[in-house]
Amino acid sequence: MMHQEMKPVDTKQIKEMLNRKKGKMKRYLSYCAHCSLCAESCFLYMAHDQDPQYMPSYKVIHSLGKLYRKRGKVDRKSLMEMKGIVWRNCVLCGRCYCPIGIHIPSMITFARSILRSQDVYPQLDEASSESWL
Amino acid sequence: MCYFVQGPLVLIAGIIFILGLLYQGIQFFKLTKKKEWGVPPSSLEIKPQKQTKKQWVREALRTLNGTLWKTDPVLTIVTSVFHVCLIIAPLFLLGHNILLDQSWGLSLFSLPESVSNFLTLLVLICGLYFLGRRLFMARVRAISTVYDYLVLLIAVVPFLTGFLAYQQWLNYQTVILLHILSGELMLITIPFTKLGHMLFFFLYRFFIGSEYSFVRGSRTW
Ligand code: HEM
Ligand code: HEM
Ligand code: SF4
Ligand code: SF4
Repeated sequence: MMHQEMKPVDTKQIKEMLNRKKGKMKRYLSYCAHCSLCAESCFLYMAHDQDPQYMPSYKVIHSLGKLYRKRGKVDRKSLMEMKGIVWRNCVLCGRCYCPIGIHIPSMITFARSILRSQDVYPQLDEASSESWL
Repeated sequence: MCYFVQGPLVLIAGIIFILGLLYQGIQFFKLTKKKEWGVPPSSLEIKPQKQTKKQWVREALRTLNGTLWKTDPVLTIVTSVFHVCLIIAPLFLLGHNILLDQSWGLSLFSLPESVSNFLTLLVLICGLYFLGRRLFMARVRAISTVYDYLVLLIAVVPFLTGFLAYQQWLNYQTVILLHILSGELMLITIPFTKLGHMLFFFLYRFFIGSEYSFVRGSRTW
């Protein structure tokens, strides 16, 4: 685990990755009406007593959305927080439904790729405590 | 100032609105050039049996039950009324059509003024409902920022001022100036804010290959 927490964050690399998919991802982020209608389509939201932090849009806003808002300039601590959001709070089952057509799974997938590029990802083989649930 | 708002700025706003939507549309097609959605060959498709009218109705109702209608019927009605009136009220409004006719000699069919006034009232009530949700429902508040309130305001103020102008409750000249200004602001912001969902909704449903398309789109991004 330790090496994940010590490596410096390569913000330039994050920014490059963000730019590569900017056209699509920023449009998704900006067209989201912040209406919360996607909530019930996520089984994790339903299973956690309708806790807002499991809403598909909430998860995206606080992971990929945050990366774009900060233009990639994030520290390791926030990357570790995002790790919880995009691996623990979303299992990428692909069942979320948005009436406007925002495709949440592709955004979570992209956030995971960015985190992986900074060596942030769950390591179940090393620490079973990362199984979380 | 008054002249500018009532004359050239209307044209400028209209042009920004049209060009903005055009730009967003072109960007969308550029970004979705890749076609890799695997649509099975139509020869493999099993043709659905011919349905009787009764079966068709039952099937339609069953489908409806898997949508928003089931999770939140009130919001489904509110948002449908809101959006339908939002489009119909200004488009088929006598006041607008007269102005269009005077400046370009073209106009659409107009609804009776009392009907338009009622549709406007409906938009305002639905807007109030949206505001209430945003203020009091934890799940909506969790994803709300000042920006969301601002955009809601931008969408609703033209209807509020239009309504006040029609009723002539306050100083007409001021209200109508505010109305025109807010209408222009709305037109200008639509292509560049979350109001852009107006275009994106249709692009997504008609061109992207996905589970929820209305037709079999084949574009991917
Ligand atoms: C940008 C240029 C615009 C101009 C010059 C304009 C002008 C007018 C005028 C002259 C009226 C008639 C008021 C009366 O009956 O005395 C009116 C009413 C109205 N306008 Fe506009 N308008 C503009 C944009 C918009 C936009 C963008 C919207 C909404 C999307 C809008 C929505 C309405 C509505 C709903 C009413 C009627 C209210 C009612 O009857 O209760 N207008 N407008
Ligand atoms: C013409 C096609 C349009 C479609 C298909 C459409 C569809 C939608 C959908 C599916 C939502 C989801 C949230 C909800 O239902 O509360 C929504 C929200 C919203 N739409 Fe539209 N929309 C359209 C046009 C517009 C236009 C032209 C405006 C305003 C200028 C607008 C303003 C809004 C606002 C303000 C919300 C958010 C309400 C809130 O704060 O929760 N829409 N729209
Ligand atoms: S992702 Fe879609 S359903 Fe969810 S809040 Fe955004 S616009 Fe609404
Ligand atoms: S992909 Fe993630 S957000 Fe969407 S329904 Fe599945 S767990 Fe929920």
